[in-house]
Amino acid sequence: MRRRNELALLPKSPLLITESADEFDTLRDAFEREIKPRGIIEQMYVHDICSIVWEILRLRRCKVVIINSAYYSALEDLLVQLRQPGQQDFSARDGARKLAHAWFTDKEAQKRVLETLGRFNLDESAIEAKAIRASSSVLELLDRMLTSLESRRDKALGCVAEYRASLAQQLRESADRILDGKVLRLEPEPNKRSTVA
Amino acid sequence: MASERQIAANRRNARKSTGPRSGAGRKRASHNAYRHGLNLNMTSTAAFAKQLDKLVREIVGNTKDAIILERARAVAQADFDLARVRRAKVALIERVSAFGELDPPRIFSSVRQIIRFFNAVDRGQVTSFPERVDSSAPMPPQEPYRSAEAMRRVLPELRKLDRYERRAAGRRDQAVRALSVEFTLTAISSCK
Repeated sequence: MRRRNELALLPKSPLLITESADEFDTLRDAFEREIKPRGIIEQMYVHDICSIVWEILRLRRCKVVIINSAYYSALEDLLVQLRQPGQQDFSARDGARKLAHAWFTDKEAQKRVLETLGRFNLDESAIEAKAIRASSSVLELLDRMLTSLESRRDKALGCVAEYRASLAQQLRESADRILDGKVLRLEPEPNKRSTVA
Repeated sequence: MASERQIAANRRNARKSTGPRSGAGRKRASHNAYRHGLNLNMTSTAAFAKQLDKLVREIVGNTKDAIILERARAVAQADFDLARVRRAKVALIERVSAFGELDPPRIFSSVRQIIRFFNAVDRGQVTSFPERVDSSAPMPPQEPYRSAEAMRRVLPELRKLDRYERRAAGRRDQAVRALSVEFTLTAISSCK
């Protein structure tokens, strides 16, 4: 109940319309189980860590999709590059476009592509390399953002530990003072005992 | 080197350049440096102030210590700023996903281009109006390709917002540390 009240006070993490709020909640629950936040400040950090991780996952997904969507033109370019000797560029381009289009679904087309690549001692990883090269400027930006987010996630985790340690230190000091008798006098004073007696 | 006459003329002209004089002009000029509003303090709206106060109370309880309250307010404010930057990021991606780009396609990309075009019209060198420049290719219709393409197009802006997000997070961490120190000092002084 208290956790729900605390979460209601924290600003909501915005999600894209294509993202699932349930999945976000599941991720946050997993972090809460691990970190076991106590108090609103720790809850705030857990919420922050969860939002950062969510964004990291979003960027990683984006990276994969960007490489995948560059596959078609990468394969087409590669097939044009590896054309038969003497074949003109424009006629090779037309054939390459058709073969690249069929490659995603047609087994026969996949076989033909492999044969073409094999003639030059290449395999399907050459397509991936070409796709990555074509989108390298975007991937570099995404990587920078990922690095920044990962460093912020680690920093936030460090902050939870630091805050918890400082709280523990406070509690230890308070406990020490209590034990030293600076705050509470556990033994009654002698003159009071005599009065009671 | 400028002659004395030129210097005097420059000074005379400079005295005339005193900025906007009308109320509307001054109001417009006051927004000259406005870019995105992410550095603005949002406590001005009543609803936001109320929400902020609730969070502050949750952090510090019923204390009346002004310093602790101030520290807790800094923590809450930074946390709300962080959320605001995140909302801006998502809004940018959504906008590009819906419209293909952040700004509507323009015929001219700068004022200089407009001036050049009308100068060319005056000289009779232009016979037809330029076509609308649409820098964006069509957006892919299917997910996750559409969202990924939207993110790709808005990446430079996201990078800029990332800087604000880091700054807000840094402010919050610093405020939490200061609050922690304040709690310790209060605990010590209450035990003495």
